[in-house]
Amino acid sequence: MKRFLSSMIDGRGFDIGLVSLPLAFLLTLSGLPLLYNIVMSFQEVDMFSLGSFWRPFVGLKNYRDLFAQPETWPILANTATFVIASIAGQFLVGFGLALFFWTNFPGASWLRGLFLVSWVMPGLVVGAIWNWILSGDFGVLNFILRESGLIAGNIFWRSDPGFSLWAVIIANIWLGTSFNMILMSVGLSAIPRDLYEASELDGANVWQRFWTITLPMMRSSIGAIIALGLIFTLQQFDLFAAITSGGPNNASNVTQYWAWDLSFRQYDFAKGATISVIMIVFVMVASVVYVRSTRHEVRG
Amino acid sequence: MTAQIELTNVNKYYGAYHALKDIELSIRKGSFTALVGPSGCGKSTLLRSLAGLESISSGTLRIAGEVMNAVPPRKRDVAMVFQSYALYPHMTVEENLTYSLRIRGVAKTERKKAANEVAAVTGLTHLLGRYPRELSGGQRQRVAMSRAIIRHPKAFLFDEPLSNLDAALRVHMRKEIRALHDRLGATSVYVTHDQVEAMTMADHVVIMRDGVIEQQGSPLELYDQPGNKFVAGFIGSPAMNFLPAVGGQDGRSIILDLGVKQAIVLDREVQPGQALIVGLRPEHIELAAADEGVLSAQVALVESTGATCFLTMATTPELSVVFNGRSEARAGDRVGLNFAPGSIHLFDANTERRLPD
Repeated sequence: MKRFLSSMIDGRGFDIGLVSLPLAFLLTLSGLPLLYNIVMSFQEVDMFSLGSFWRPFVGLKNYRDLFAQPETWPILANTATFVIASIAGQFLVGFGLALFFWTNFPGASWLRGLFLVSWVMPGLVVGAIWNWILSGDFGVLNFILRESGLIAGNIFWRSDPGFSLWAVIIANIWLGTSFNMILMSVGLSAIPRDLYEASELDGANVWQRFWTITLPMMRSSIGAIIALGLIFTLQQFDLFAAITSGGPNNASNVTQYWAWDLSFRQYDFAKGATISVIMIVFVMVASVVYVRSTRHEVRG
Repeated sequence: MTAQIELTNVNKYYGAYHALKDIELSIRKGSFTALVGPSGCGKSTLLRSLAGLESISSGTLRIAGEVMNAVPPRKRDVAMVFQSYALYPHMTVEENLTYSLRIRGVAKTERKKAANEVAAVTGLTHLLGRYPRELSGGQRQRVAMSRAIIRHPKAFLFDEPLSNLDAALRVHMRKEIRALHDRLGATSVYVTHDQVEAMTMADHVVIMRDGVIEQQGSPLELYDQPGNKFVAGFIGSPAMNFLPAVGGQDGRSIILDLGVKQAIVLDREVQPGQALIVGLRPEHIELAAADEGVLSAQVALVESTGATCFLTMATTPELSVVFNGRSEARAGDRVGLNFAPGSIHLFDANTERRLPD
């Protein structure tokens, strides 16, 4: 007992103690539900068996049924569009802003801080505001597009099947840009100034310096932000709930919203779990990319 | 003897701060010029102005005859070795060396050939495939120099390149840089705060303080004829002794004040009653028996490295003496001190300027 106590106080026992607390927390509140979700995707679940763990095992039937449904592939395609367009938009705008603030004009850091406001706003609030902006008859976006002559008639962003997914993507890009910008800013400020001076003396112009110094030095940051972006956009739920509810007719439905809809509105828990498992696979891949890219940081 | 770099009446302001004041400097083609001075004296600012990394506020800067005031760094054709080396961490040694060639669009095979040639000169051949993080300090230093050499620039600029190395390596690299300079015959400008580096490497030394060039000349000129008290104290190690004195009434002697007053006859004329500072290098003072010296003093401290002996005298102000060999003297002993009158440097106590011999 004394040895145990002294190891707790002096040595490795203390480290293990520190680690075990968050690990226990993670296992109970994340690990177990995850496992339970996977198990559920192989079971037949209905309202009556919801309370018990030992439910009939049905193998891959849920997966087969899911892909037999006509809306599955369009929703998966929507998800891919949503993820790719959101990440591309957030990254390009965020990186552009980070480069802009990096020039360090007077008030740059102050203004950069203000940009974080969009990131701390709740998704539902952002959705509500974008509902107004995107509104078909009196929305400010339509007003701008119409007045600048880009469109002839109003676009009904939220109810037109051709636009409803893009309505959510636009809002999501707005929501995620500031996070991208902050991470890119951190990456940029970690590049030593004298590298630019050296390359300037070596004859490189601004464009060449960007391609040969900035981008390669940012590789790990970019890998990290894209992996995180994949995780964040696969999590994006509030905006769908607030703006389109996945409609019209699934035109803007994505897997994360569909999983919730199946489980908690149609009470088809098995299908909901099955979709979640498919998403877990994608998130796992993203996590591996993230961990690897932060491990391969190139520094001095 | 053409001037490769020429600065006329150059000034640099940071807001209200006057960093470089009326710099007049002509750097001969093929010379090795050292800019030396205490930190904050403007030597790095001056070097960075040559490179174009800082702009000058007024005056003219010419490199190889062309006015460069507004020319961006990439078009000045000068190479710089940074204190931090500034190697590109994401590139191998070979890619670091050939970066400037790649920017200029030189073909890959030619780049490789150039890298091999330079690496053979600087002893980097076996390291070409490595990344900077896998190199030791001395090797990184060598890569930084090779990266400059490969370009055959109009001038090499060194910004305290040895200050991140340990003492032994620094002495070694000092010789290597100088040897390389002699072999390439290129114009080099070398910034350092270490006067020993400046004295041993350069053939022209520029001493700066507070944005002003205090004196310039060959290393031995500066040692023998320091133009003011600052230069006299900066050049030479251990530093020159400075003793208060006044001109004697006969006009041919000075009266030293080391607690007790002591008259010393000179072989030159001085103004009677003028307040003076006497500069006396520690290596120009010899020990003598207690009653035989020009001066007599008590030993406060004896430090010996084996080859040389440093003595500090218990006088006010302190007086240091250095000579080769060993000393029988112990702390507390009284000794006599001898020196040739010709080895005395005289400075005006008010202006701190050297008095003409």
